[in-house]
Amino acid sequence: MTNTEKYNDIFAQVFGAKAGELGDNYSKENVPAWDSVHQLNIIALMEETFDLMLDPEDIMACTSYNAGKEILGRNGIEL
Amino acid sequence: MRRADYITSAVRERSLCFMLVENNVCSVEWVMASLVSRRLVPLVISAKTDEALYNRLLDTYKPAYIWQGGELIRTNNAITELHPELSHLLPTSGSTGSQKLVRHCYGNIEAAGLNIATFFGLKETDRPLMVLPLYYTMGMSMLFSHLRVGATVLITNLSMTDAAFWKFMKDARATSFTGVPYSFRILSLMRFFRMDLPDLELLTQGGGKMPRELNIKFAEWCRDHNKRWIATYGQSECTARMAYLPPQWAVEKAGSIGIAVPNGELWLIDENGNRITTPHTEGEMCYRGKNVTMGYAACTADLAKGDERNGSIRTGDLAYFDEDGCYYIAGRKGRFLKLFGMRVGLDECEQIIADNCQTDCACVGTDEKMIVYITDAAKTQAVKDTLAEKTHIVATSFEIRVIDAIPKNETGKKLYSKLDKI
Repeated sequence: MTNTEKYNDIFAQVFGAKAGELGDNYSKENVPAWDSVHQLNIIALMEETFDLMLDPEDIMACTSYNAGKEILGRNGIEL
Repeated sequence: MRRADYITSAVRERSLCFMLVENNVCSVEWVMASLVSRRLVPLVISAKTDEALYNRLLDTYKPAYIWQGGELIRTNNAITELHPELSHLLPTSGSTGSQKLVRHCYGNIEAAGLNIATFFGLKETDRPLMVLPLYYTMGMSMLFSHLRVGATVLITNLSMTDAAFWKFMKDARATSFTGVPYSFRILSLMRFFRMDLPDLELLTQGGGKMPRELNIKFAEWCRDHNKRWIATYGQSECTARMAYLPPQWAVEKAGSIGIAVPNGELWLIDENGNRITTPHTEGEMCYRGKNVTMGYAACTADLAKGDERNGSIRTGDLAYFDEDGCYYIAGRKGRFLKLFGMRVGLDECEQIIADNCQTDCACVGTDEKMIVYITDAAKTQAVKDTLAEKTHIVATSFEIRVIDAIPKNETGKKLYSKLDKI
């Protein structure tokens, strides 16, 4: 699996989201189910999948599909 | 209270009102004013309630009023009979779409407020931070207990993973925090233990059993930082809190739900209904107190019913007590889980799957995770997606397992105990 596939799979696991729905508009504002529980689950899976230790600042910043990509980028994971 | 006066003048007869609340001052004001006025009997639900469930609730209970976003609207429904002591209604399980409601009376509010204020030692200068939803029994009980002593409740709709939340907690100088096990996992991940929160004096937990390691981490931190850690146990059926673990036992007896709240009584019964008097013997836990609600409602006519419980209830939880009389939950008789502190009905989940995915299924599990057994492997993803979508619970909470057939007896009843052995 490529890193992008792995990253998309995280969202599938957390939201049951189909990869086609993922994109620029996939965010806390547009996804009704996106609450702190979902946000922490995304973070936990990102840490597990890419072998990272993320900071509270990253947890707070992870409010959209794109923001998650940026967090990975800052931690040296290229998609 | 001016809002209560307004309600009394605007609403002539006691009427059912659906209140779609958010965690903000306006919602608190209207819910409390409705209770004080005794004119509006609110069903308190989330403003984000699933549309299908909301429509079913409307069809079932036909409220004369609906309150949303600060506006009170008279519907076309006739005013139906409400029991004079009926104060408010809460859903038994918001996430699975159950229409069964818990019927509270005005005496429950008084009793819960008094009991909770007593064992927490609440006072006027307290500034509790309320992140639990207002439509959740424990959230509402925070209001009843703190408003009773004239404390200032700090209510917020902010997510705990939002930087603004932490700024609010500090700037508003919160003195206590109440959460479910998952709230404390978030606190832990957000480096709570390194934060400087000099005003914070009390941490309280309810909404299901907390993982032992996390529980001890918080209990020890509180002990070492001159703060109180109080674990509690409760049910919607009893206006939230029924037991608490006194803080001096927080570390030593971590995992225990402690003793009955003031003015309440806990006891155990065996399979024949006899009272258990020996420590470390498992039985069904029972509770008696004025916070025990009147009963359930499943239709409009039920709202006219009076008290069906006479102040005592079998909790459905299996427990034992130790030599000091502290109770420990050992299991559950009822068909539900508490995921993230919210009750999730297993039979309702099976119904959701049956309605949407056309596969035979059986739902079991723990408060950590639901295990869903299905017989059609091709439906695995669909089942997971459907449950996440309908319940709004994170999809990782559902583990789907495929088996050849769901074990059943001759009459077609599912044999859940056999699933453990597969």
